[in-house]
Amino acid sequence: MTAKGQNRAIASWQITLGVALLALGFLIAAQLRTEAPRVRYASNERVALVETATDLQGRQDTLKQQLLDLRKEIQDLESQGQGSAALFEDLNERLRQARVAAGLTALQGPGLVLQLRDSANAVPPDENPTDYLVSARDLRTVVEELWLAGAEAIAVNGERVTAAGAIIDIGGSVLLNSAYLSPPYQISAIGPPDLFDQVNGSASFRDFVRGRVEAFGLQVGFAELPDVTIPAYAGTINLRYARSAAPASSPGP
Amino acid sequence: MRKTRNQLSIAAVALILGLLVVVQLRSQAGNTGLEALSAQDLTVLVGNLNTRNEQLRGEIATTQRELADLQGARSRGESSVDQLRLDLARVRAWSGLDPVTGSGIRITIAGPIAGAGVQDLLNELHNAGAEALAVEDVRVVPGTIVAGPTGSLSVENTALVDPFEISALGNPATLTGSLTRSGGIVAQLAATYPTAQITVVPLDAVEIPATTRRLIPAHGTPRL
Repeated sequence: MTAKGQNRAIASWQITLGVALLALGFLIAAQLRTEAPRVRYASNERVALVETATDLQGRQDTLKQQLLDLRKEIQDLESQGQGSAALFEDLNERLRQARVAAGLTALQGPGLVLQLRDSANAVPPDENPTDYLVSARDLRTVVEELWLAGAEAIAVNGERVTAAGAIIDIGGSVLLNSAYLSPPYQISAIGPPDLFDQVNGSASFRDFVRGRVEAFGLQVGFAELPDVTIPAYAGTINLRYARSAAPASSPGP
Repeated sequence: MRKTRNQLSIAAVALILGLLVVVQLRSQAGNTGLEALSAQDLTVLVGNLNTRNEQLRGEIATTQRELADLQGARSRGESSVDQLRLDLARVRAWSGLDPVTGSGIRITIAGPIAGAGVQDLLNELHNAGAEALAVEDVRVVPGTIVAGPTGSLSVENTALVDPFEISALGNPATLTGSLTRSGGIVAQLAATYPTAQITVVPLDAVEIPATTRRLIPAHGTPRL
């Protein structure tokens, strides 16, 4: 009788604790999911902005992973579907190819990694310090050179370069697909065996080396690798203004 | 019953521990150069991050619905062919495999400009939210570069004859506003290429062709 009473006391204590912790968990989760940025116009606006930006970046990483997981789940489900087998197989194969073409699938293959770093040179007093930092234009130049040299997939610091992404300056760092990237920049590319030679031999790349690397001391490093992985694009493919103009029954390539 | 309660308590403790660990890890990670940004840059960054996160949430919601539909169809023993078709059309339109149409703008460039200038313009169009772009009849997809020195531009082995047009699909007012605002890309290009004429016209209907590029990799292998 006494033993039973004791057991019961422990159990109810546990329930109370459980419920309290559960509620707390929900509160914390709710706090984390708050949609609006917590911009505080307090005495130190910058500190608040740094906090907000860090917080939003963390959420972005979580959201990206969530999207990739969901897409994977759909892909798995779709590939084990029922129905008219031939039609189904055909649709599935085309969807698989379209996803690869769109950059929604990670790609692995031979290629190179190119690293761009800010200059280590001292900035002369009469010069613009910005010239000694890697700019969005520098990154775009390198990315453009890689495409022209035959690259078939490119990522900068793990963010896939897609059909819709812009690379823009933000202070001494850049935004790609609205993801915040800071130096050093690792530009990974998959492409033909002569990718490195093509880039290196291009007149416009030599202009870049003369104008930015030699003139201001930006640091460039190359590594040719047998195996480079370019992650899938984790972002929206939603079109709000555009609608497909493909003929309804078009089988497509 | 008691066992269930115990499990519940343990689950709750695990939940809060997990949350605390994540919060802790997050606050420790990612101090990458943010401190060096000015308040103005930080404001732009926060705006950008917010927009991308909003888009991601929208995309996740769409994908969750799609997943639920698929699961529903499967549990009823139906085929998900319609779902596959929709999904395929969406991916193909976005990636450039299919032509698209909708509202947008047309930009005409007359006079001398270098490839880098045109690339800057395309980059700015993406930044302003353009959903599809074409230079003359060439759909802009990853790898489509307008290259060459002033006076001899080409895109995908096609020479661009002066004057040439760029079509962009998206909100006409937003796109026009972003390009032509003071200090915007059109003003910047006018400063760099003073004899080039850039005109922007909003349109209700713009047609963007499909790409002719082969987007299926020959050297890389998809990692599923």
